[in-house]
Amino acid sequence: MRLRSQKSKEQPMNWIIETEELCKQYGTVTAVQDLSLRVAEGEIYTFLGLNGAGKTTTIRMLLGMIKPTHGSATMLGKRVRLGSREPWADVGYLVETPHAYPELSVRENLEAARRLHPGTPRQAVEQTIERLGLAAYADRRAGTLSLGNVQRLGLAKALVHRPKLILLDEPANGLDPAGIVEIRELLLEMTRQEGVTVFMSSHILAEVARLADRIGIIHAGKLLREMDMAGLERERRRRLVVRVRDREAARQALAAAGFQAEELADGSLALGQAGAIERPDDIASALVRGGTPPLQLLLEEEELEDYFLRLVGVNGDK
Amino acid sequence: MNTLPDMFWIELRKVLRSRVPFFTALGFLFMPFIGALLIFIYKDPQLARQLGLLGAKANLTVSSADWPGYLNLLIEFTALGGFFFFCLAISWTFGREFTDGTLKDLLAVPVPRFAILLAKFLVAALWCAVLILETYLVGLGLGAAIRLPGGTPAVILHGVGMAAATAVMSILLVMPFGFFASLGRGYLLPIGIALLALILGNLSMTLGWGEYFPWAIPGMFLQEPHLPFFSYIIVVCTSLAGVAGTYFWWKYADQNR
Repeated sequence: MRLRSQKSKEQPMNWIIETEELCKQYGTVTAVQDLSLRVAEGEIYTFLGLNGAGKTTTIRMLLGMIKPTHGSATMLGKRVRLGSREPWADVGYLVETPHAYPELSVRENLEAARRLHPGTPRQAVEQTIERLGLAAYADRRAGTLSLGNVQRLGLAKALVHRPKLILLDEPANGLDPAGIVEIRELLLEMTRQEGVTVFMSSHILAEVARLADRIGIIHAGKLLREMDMAGLERERRRRLVVRVRDREAARQALAAAGFQAEELADGSLALGQAGAIERPDDIASALVRGGTPPLQLLLEEEELEDYFLRLVGVNGDK
Repeated sequence: MNTLPDMFWIELRKVLRSRVPFFTALGFLFMPFIGALLIFIYKDPQLARQLGLLGAKANLTVSSADWPGYLNLLIEFTALGGFFFFCLAISWTFGREFTDGTLKDLLAVPVPRFAILLAKFLVAALWCAVLILETYLVGLGLGAAIRLPGGTPAVILHGVGMAAATAVMSILLVMPFGFFASLGRGYLLPIGIALLALILGNLSMTLGWGEYFPWAIPGMFLQEPHLPFFSYIIVVCTSLAGVAGTYFWWKYADQNR
């Protein structure tokens, strides 16, 4: 993934999604405010945000289901307009909870999705059933499927016509751990081998970290930050936690070596300076020289959840 | 519009796989059976007296125990009951996309919105036509079974012609309920408006304005087949307004579900 990010930095960008000051207001409530973002070809861009942050409203505006109060969106080089027929031939999507016609079988639901994309070959239905692991359920009515399989069917409907751009709203919802891994592998394969671009929202931060090339953090309708995964790693707080027998002696030894240590509730010492984090062996040496060798040195990285909450200003001082 | 056959296939498949058409067909079957039962009772006053209220009702409803009377009864039943069942059919066709959450799958697709909607209207109209056909095939069979007198080809043809004309008007007049189902994002609004339309239709007929009120016109037609031309124009315009309203609503309204 890192390789792809570096490559995309070197080459001129082919923007698959571009929004300019996209805004949606419902009366006095601003759901999305001045949202400008760009997603490059072959990229997995993840939209992070709390419930009600504006993720789904943004996706619906991108799909021409909601008219922006002002601003514009362009996808695959075509301006998105309400009720328009373009550029949907090359776009697959899954918005909010996936739904299917409950009385139709999985195969029939996919056949309906295929017919909604003229030019999609008949065999695409069976191929998609195989690809999404739905073969055992192909003749089952969609109304009898488990939540995880309804999610798979929703993804299958989004992919049946082999789109160039996929918009997914919480694609891992309802999937078991094996299903999450399977879908992640599928999305990675599609971006790497077929050059498909993925724009997705998610609240599973660990999943985002494994999958995304870039993330956009949205809060209260505003895009707070955009960063690539390296930037995310840089911005997460890290600290070196040291366990010693004699805290006071250790603190003095560290101070003598130029490090300030903070005492934690469990009696350990925490060091946040870059020198300590990058060279924990120097810390160990300083402690040994001070006659209080360390029992344990542990490099702790801020949890993604904590970083995210800190960034959006919710309970972020952990 | 070369996508219309595919859209028609999708809509037809949804209807055929659902239980709702079965229940509407079952509901429609009551009409010829009740009509035949009332005629049967009317033919035998002794039995009518023994049956008490049902007999009294039969005496009030049936004009004559022969084919013209029986066919009139069927047409009245299908005009009133048919309208309501047609409303159910079209409300389900459109409203289900909202209640099942499947609307979003029809919006960002490379198919003209009009083809999707036209397929829905056509399938709903076909559904209504099949219900009418069912009613009259069963009705004619039952009429023959209870050996009604006066079943000349001219009487039967006139009855079937009146039934067909009433059915066409009823089908045209339920088209706006596709719009009401879309506007109300489900079934409640169209069914509520259908009840209101029936009440207002009766009221307008009582007040002598029936030929101006769209949903009273089929009832007026049964009483007086030679309605003013503008009444038929009102029926067609109401239908077109319903189709146009549905199209513009699906194309330009924000879709949050």
